[in-house]
Amino acid sequence: MKNHRFFTICLLLFLLLCSVFLGILFGSVTVRPSDVFAALAGKNTGSTAWVLITTVRVPRVLGGLFAGIGLACAGVILQTVMNNSLASPNTIGVNSGSGFAVMLSMLFFPANSPALPLFAFLGALLTTLAIYLLAALSDSSRTTIILAGITVSSFLSAGINTVKLLDTDITINLTSFMIGSLSGLTAAKLILPCAGIAAAFLVSLLFAKPLNMLGLGDDIARSLGLHVAPTRFALLVLSSVLAGCVVSYAGLLSFIGLIVPHICRRLFGNDARILLPASALLGGSFVILCDLLGRVLFSPFELPAGILMSFIGGPFFLYLLLKRKGGRRVNA
Amino acid sequence: MLEFRNVSVSCQRTPILNDISVSFRAGEITAVIGPNGCGKTSLLQCLNGVSKVTAGTVLLNGRNYLSIPLRERARNVAFLPQVRTIIPAIPVKTLVEHGRFPYLGFARKKSEKDVAIVERAMELAHVTQYANQSVDTLSGGMRQRVFFAMTLAQDCDYIVLDEPTTYLDLSGQRDFFSMIRELKHRGKTVILVLHDLNQAIRIADTLVIMDRLAPSPGVSKAENAARGFGRIAGVGAPEECLKLHLIDDVFDTSWKRFSDPEGDYYFFQ
Repeated sequence: MKNHRFFTICLLLFLLLCSVFLGILFGSVTVRPSDVFAALAGKNTGSTAWVLITTVRVPRVLGGLFAGIGLACAGVILQTVMNNSLASPNTIGVNSGSGFAVMLSMLFFPANSPALPLFAFLGALLTTLAIYLLAALSDSSRTTIILAGITVSSFLSAGINTVKLLDTDITINLTSFMIGSLSGLTAAKLILPCAGIAAAFLVSLLFAKPLNMLGLGDDIARSLGLHVAPTRFALLVLSSVLAGCVVSYAGLLSFIGLIVPHICRRLFGNDARILLPASALLGGSFVILCDLLGRVLFSPFELPAGILMSFIGGPFFLYLLLKRKGGRRVNA
Repeated sequence: MLEFRNVSVSCQRTPILNDISVSFRAGEITAVIGPNGCGKTSLLQCLNGVSKVTAGTVLLNGRNYLSIPLRERARNVAFLPQVRTIIPAIPVKTLVEHGRFPYLGFARKKSEKDVAIVERAMELAHVTQYANQSVDTLSGGMRQRVFFAMTLAQDCDYIVLDEPTTYLDLSGQRDFFSMIRELKHRGKTVILVLHDLNQAIRIADTLVIMDRLAPSPGVSKAENAARGFGRIAGVGAPEECLKLHLIDDVFDTSWKRFSDPEGDYYFFQ
């Protein structure tokens, strides 16, 4: 059992390394593997390939990696805290809330201002808390919460569109933002959000045990000595940092926060101590690979990563919806 | 000794109990009985903080229980709630290990002692053979045993179980009560909420009988609600309670006693 898990984790790590390598290697222009190794080793060859790798490909792949980590881990946390297997940053409207806040902030700040991730986080947090309170106070069924999330989501998307249409000065490609895309990422844009994601990910690992406790239900968690309300709040803040930071640079990537935790639950069970790192590995690979596919499939045209994710994620979500009947069976 | 002194209890801002005093003696098995809705669960839920104590004090061995931090409480009093809102899809062993949570810090890993306690808890609850099976694949009775094992893994001197026999069949109940006797034998204090009067009389050293509070006629509806819904109707050894007809009054029943060499049996109707 333990060996089997260890082996699977190694496999996921290998998958991630391959994805990173392939993500740097392929694109509208294919570079030589030796250039990739040279650039990764820190050798400045000054060639066109080197410039392309360091200024375009590496930021893009890193952006994908952190987007995967952020959304997948936010998904794990939300599913456990809300005890709802269908919860994820996308399905409960957190991404849209965050996106709306990003749009609002663009009215006042330039596109790579540090205010953007902050607004994205606040937008994510407010939406998360709103949906959580709705779920907790109304005692609604799990499917109802998801429906409420989808409603909130479309409401906020309308908000995003309105802001964009009313202020034509906003320098953002609305289509890519709404579907989620990694094109045009620069290192400067990434530093702050990625630092936020990395920090929140590490803190969430510390919270793995309390997260497991929450998965047992409030009354049992309390009987075991957990301060339920503060822990839950801390975890919701963490998930908002994770999702908000991703939205601030990659837009509304969908489904990753749903699919990846589910696959990892199948592979490793419901222990957050292993689920969080495993989801981070798989999430990172998944986003990088989707982005890569989008770049090479119809080259020289480029599909945003979010489109491929929706193609894969949409049917998967329907499958879950039908199979689990609102996720009654899950889980902790 | 676990002592409730003039305690008033609210659940989600609704007053449930008012000015209740009752104590649970150390080393004994105490059964709390009473009709539905008399506040048995609310009273005991003060111990894990699900219901709020609005007045009075709770003392654990003379110490103010409510000022003890949650984690330390969970090392002294193990409380197993009645309702299972969530059946976790995790292996039995992992669930039982969660019973060690109050002893583990953020960084502290489980020690050999923790492992030994978890194994002993699983043995005592007879769930060792299911260690690697997922809890949600087990039957209701087996799940109850697994949660019971988790409670035992907390290794507390006080064990409080809210309607522990609900999900158990006859042999399950028999096994369960022999486990409870074994716990008493090991010096534990056990508090049980039970519905089966026969079981309560046979297992308990002391009965705590609770009753619904009848609304007083001359008082407004709001005042009646503020007085709560339940009261302590009597406390004593089962024999005493039967003799004083406390059970008869509260449950509106009568009983017959049958004796054979193995003991007394009661028939309630």
